[in-house]
Amino acid sequence: MSRLSGGFLLASTAFARSQSALEPAGPQAAHFFRLFSWFFWIEAAIFLIVLALTAWALTRRHRGIEQEPLERVHIPSEETEKKLLWTVGGGILATVLILLGLLVASVTTGKAISELANQKNGMVVEVVGNQWWWYVRYLNDDASQIVVTANEIHIPVGRPVRIRGTSNDVIHSFWVPELNGKRDLIPSRITDEWIEADHPGRFRGQCAEFCGMQHAHMSLWVVADTPGDFEKWKQRQLQPAVEPSTPELIAGRDVFLKYACVYCHSITGTTAAGQVAPDLTHLGSRFTIAAGTLPNTKGNLAGWIVDPQNIKPGNHMATLNVKAEELQPLVDYLESLQ
Amino acid sequence: MTPLVATPVREIDDVRGRHDLENAWRNPAGLLSWLSVATHQAIGMRYIVTAFIFLLAGGVEALLMRIQLAKADNTFLGPDKYNEIFTTHGTTMMFLFAVPMMEGMAIYLVPLLIGTRNVAFPRLNAFGYWMYLFGALFLYFGVFTNTAPDMGWFAYPPLSGPQFSPGKRVDFWAQMITFTEISALCVATEIIATIVKLRAPGMSLNRIPIYAWSMLIQSFMILFAMPAVMVSSTVMLLNDRTIGTHFVNPWAGGDPLLYQHVFWFFGHPEVYLIFIPALGFVSAIVETHSRRAMFGYPALVLSQLANAFVAFGLWVHHMFATDLPQMGESYFTASSMMIAIASGTQIFCWIATLWSGRVKMRTPVYFVLGFIFIFVLGGLTGVMLASVPLDLQVHDTFFVVAHFHYVLIGGALFPLFGAFYHWYPKMTGRVMDDFIGKINFWLLFIGFNVTFFPMHILGLHGMTRRIYTYPQEMGWEPMNALATVGAFIILLGGIVFILNVISSRRHGAEAGANPWDGGTLEWATDSPPRNYNFVNLPAATSRYPLWNDPKERVVVTGLRDDRREVLVTTLMDAEPHHRLVLPSSSIWPFLTALLSAIGLWGSVFHFSWYYVAMLGAFIGLVGWFWPRRREAEA
Amino acid sequence: MIAQRTLDVSELPVGSVSNHAPLWWGQLLLALIEASMFFILLAMYFYIRLSMDIWPPPGVQLPKLGPATLALIPLVLSAIGSYIASEAAKKNDRSGMLLGLGLNIVLALLFLAARWFAWNEWNFNWRATAYGSIMWALMYLHTIDAVADVILTLCLFILIVFGYRGVKQRLGVHVDSILWYFIVLIWLPAYVVLYWGPRFVGAP
Repeated sequence: MSRLSGGFLLASTAFARSQSALEPAGPQAAHFFRLFSWFFWIEAAIFLIVLALTAWALTRRHRGIEQEPLERVHIPSEETEKKLLWTVGGGILATVLILLGLLVASVTTGKAISELANQKNGMVVEVVGNQWWWYVRYLNDDASQIVVTANEIHIPVGRPVRIRGTSNDVIHSFWVPELNGKRDLIPSRITDEWIEADHPGRFRGQCAEFCGMQHAHMSLWVVADTPGDFEKWKQRQLQPAVEPSTPELIAGRDVFLKYACVYCHSITGTTAAGQVAPDLTHLGSRFTIAAGTLPNTKGNLAGWIVDPQNIKPGNHMATLNVKAEELQPLVDYLESLQ
Repeated sequence: MTPLVATPVREIDDVRGRHDLENAWRNPAGLLSWLSVATHQAIGMRYIVTAFIFLLAGGVEALLMRIQLAKADNTFLGPDKYNEIFTTHGTTMMFLFAVPMMEGMAIYLVPLLIGTRNVAFPRLNAFGYWMYLFGALFLYFGVFTNTAPDMGWFAYPPLSGPQFSPGKRVDFWAQMITFTEISALCVATEIIATIVKLRAPGMSLNRIPIYAWSMLIQSFMILFAMPAVMVSSTVMLLNDRTIGTHFVNPWAGGDPLLYQHVFWFFGHPEVYLIFIPALGFVSAIVETHSRRAMFGYPALVLSQLANAFVAFGLWVHHMFATDLPQMGESYFTASSMMIAIASGTQIFCWIATLWSGRVKMRTPVYFVLGFIFIFVLGGLTGVMLASVPLDLQVHDTFFVVAHFHYVLIGGALFPLFGAFYHWYPKMTGRVMDDFIGKINFWLLFIGFNVTFFPMHILGLHGMTRRIYTYPQEMGWEPMNALATVGAFIILLGGIVFILNVISSRRHGAEAGANPWDGGTLEWATDSPPRNYNFVNLPAATSRYPLWNDPKERVVVTGLRDDRREVLVTTLMDAEPHHRLVLPSSSIWPFLTALLSAIGLWGSVFHFSWYYVAMLGAFIGLVGWFWPRRREAEA
Repeated sequence: MIAQRTLDVSELPVGSVSNHAPLWWGQLLLALIEASMFFILLAMYFYIRLSMDIWPPPGVQLPKLGPATLALIPLVLSAIGSYIASEAAKKNDRSGMLLGLGLNIVLALLFLAARWFAWNEWNFNWRATAYGSIMWALMYLHTIDAVADVILTLCLFILIVFGYRGVKQRLGVHVDSILWYFIVLIWLPAYVVLYWGPRFVGAP
């Protein structure tokens, strides 16, 4: 039933298959999809019945109604009123029963989803909302195993992940539809939700609570890797920044350290330790920049550095007036940070 | 009811009474008089016209948004302007159109429906209008001086707080709410006192027209809901921004969720404030054009009462994503679903009435049918949103945008347009063209569904709310383009409506007192009604006095015609109790509103201006209540 | 001339100084509106209380019981003045109205003076913490309402003194009592919550 519903509900196959609540890729999202399908079909039937009743009410021939008294005093006969009373009463009863059923289904599903929380082999990822990017930190009791990154979260397939969320400024909302519903990120509070991918893939998410000027461009990606690939990714992320190997790349690093970039950004293994902007230690390994706004290519990165206000007007990145001849080495260096 | 049983048949001198009444109730010409008007028809009409202008303003804002969203990565509006426009659109529609329009219709219609000459507090009525107007002008002054609010119509902190929204935008918004809220509270007080005290003799509680019940219930809701928005916007947000309180500032012990709780404690009942009067419209239209007494009158009244009570117990369903405890959230799921029972009951009663009546398929009935279609669909998506797991996916997406436009436009705007067509003859003396009315209906109905249905799909496919643009590869563009086309069809429908209103004024068929053969009291007098409404106040011998045998109808005599005198009756059975002299025109409501407004406008700049407002209000009230020697003799 | 069944009301009085007057309902509704505001603020007080472990927050001295409790005496007694005036208004008893209104005003002013002392002693303002904000908000709203009602009562007193005792003015005196009863009644639970609450259910 689910697949059929899915096919029907996907009204247009032109939708990107990466941010759709109707394309579940994990158990929580699958619960939603199942519940939604039930609600949809039952309610569609109710809707059609109500329309049909209304249409019938307008088109019926007037059998069983004494018209003459109606014409005179505008009050139908007692028999008509009794018939209507039974029908309306029945309708109300049916409404109550259906709503009760939907209520039970909803609460049951809610419980099933929350039972997927607090699992023993879970992993905790801290996500902190900022205007307009996502700080990501993989928590671990062993400090040397903590990964810090931004805007792109990798998780191993089949393992439950707790997203422990908060915000540094205004209220944001973490939402990756193909994995689970949304959870608000509220300053001075911690909110929790669990996600789990049941197959590898890339799942797009977007901030779902209006957070100011560039709310429209605050997206993120959750990448589900096979456990092996995830370990490889994690090990690479734990390394400090790749040392520049050519003179050009060294020059690029110097450009980076010379400009105001270091006030906001950090690159582990250099002196750049800014905390208020995405960590760039492994920028080259991410496939988007500016919180999912653009694909991570040298051209886009150059455009972003030269004029961030053009791409995300109002965002907090300064316009740095990097000299033309410094731009290429800088971009090459940043892209080398795999 | 004893007093009306054996009333004598008398000859009444209609002519002299009419002449005296004309004099006593006249609104003279001239600017000063215009500012001093205290008759309910004029004030009601002002509300209706002003609110309609703001409907158009909100519509323009909507069209601008739709143009921007029709294309991916569009550059028609930048993020700053878009954010201002969607905020102003929501604020205008909710505070400056929907509630004031419903209030205006009530102010105009309720005294006629219950058989009296004016509302209980005519000058308060005028004051309420001026406060609304001054608040609206205040907000739009901000809009036109680049100080438009831009943080969403519910203005969540910390985004709306002093740190992340510097400047005056949020302050203008917050204080505008004070104005519209005071206005709504004035009207609510008005309506309750009028319906409770000035009903026609014999109009016991079970004979009150359903629309009057709707307004009575809605007015009580206003009394309990509006103070909450005053607290959230002014006491909490504005003070946090201007004088350093810490209600919602998380970095000093405050809590952004506290704002959400208090705001939505108002915000959810707010939509029922808009919806319940519309239910009254539907009842009035259905019973009149089906030409039968409404089926299930007690059920309809009790359902609206249930709606009103339960509406106060739903607000957390706006906050399901904030990770509140699951048990608490389940309670709100249950109540949010339960309220559908009340709405459903009413729909079944209306269908039963249509089924067993002799329906005349006129334009108002078309709008009722449109209401059934659109509102039921919106209500069903509402049941989905009541479920926490479902809501967590579609909350803050275009699915919700679709839902609330379905319930607000279907549930309130369509009945409102039906009400326009239904009562326009009473208000103007001419009938609106029925054929053009049906074209009007189809344009609005088709346009509405083309605009908003695709949004359900967009929301399910990940399109979040309040985004000024979206990338091409999401695949959202075709549905958005379709929605924009629909928006322009709605525009066309609106234009047709305005043209119909204007042309029917001149060329419409003469209405006479009762063009629809309605049963309730507003149809017992001239169209348009004179300022005094009825030459002789009617008594109500049944729920539909005009459907009684004309020989059995009763009128009240013995009220003085040479001054503004009405009859006060008792609460339950509407037995005559005493006569009341109502005030005539007065400039003081306007002056009191103006002086208070100056203080409130200033208060966004400095707290001390509140005291200017209080002083201004005091001065105004002294003038307002200054006694005239003649009336005040011991 | 037309023939109709009629109901003649010419024998009915004009105006009524009683709870049948629309203005009585208007005042009641105004009191309901203010009561809604108070209940929301009190709910906020509890919400803020529940979100803090230490109550009142560090640095805040709990408002002293003495002056605030003493202030209750003139507050409650002033309601007697309102009652006397309200009943006298029904009978058009000039001296009764003046006595009642005067008593009410004097006691209300005593209450406001006591409140001034009590409020002045607080060692925190609205800027300190959320506790300070909500305490000041409640105190401010109630005080402003009380001051406004005292001014209203004073105006009524002046009207009666100068001989304006028509139905309208007497109705004003009669319904003013509703507002004052509200001011008294709403403060009693608020006082218990704000002054006694933290002492019973305070910091661990």
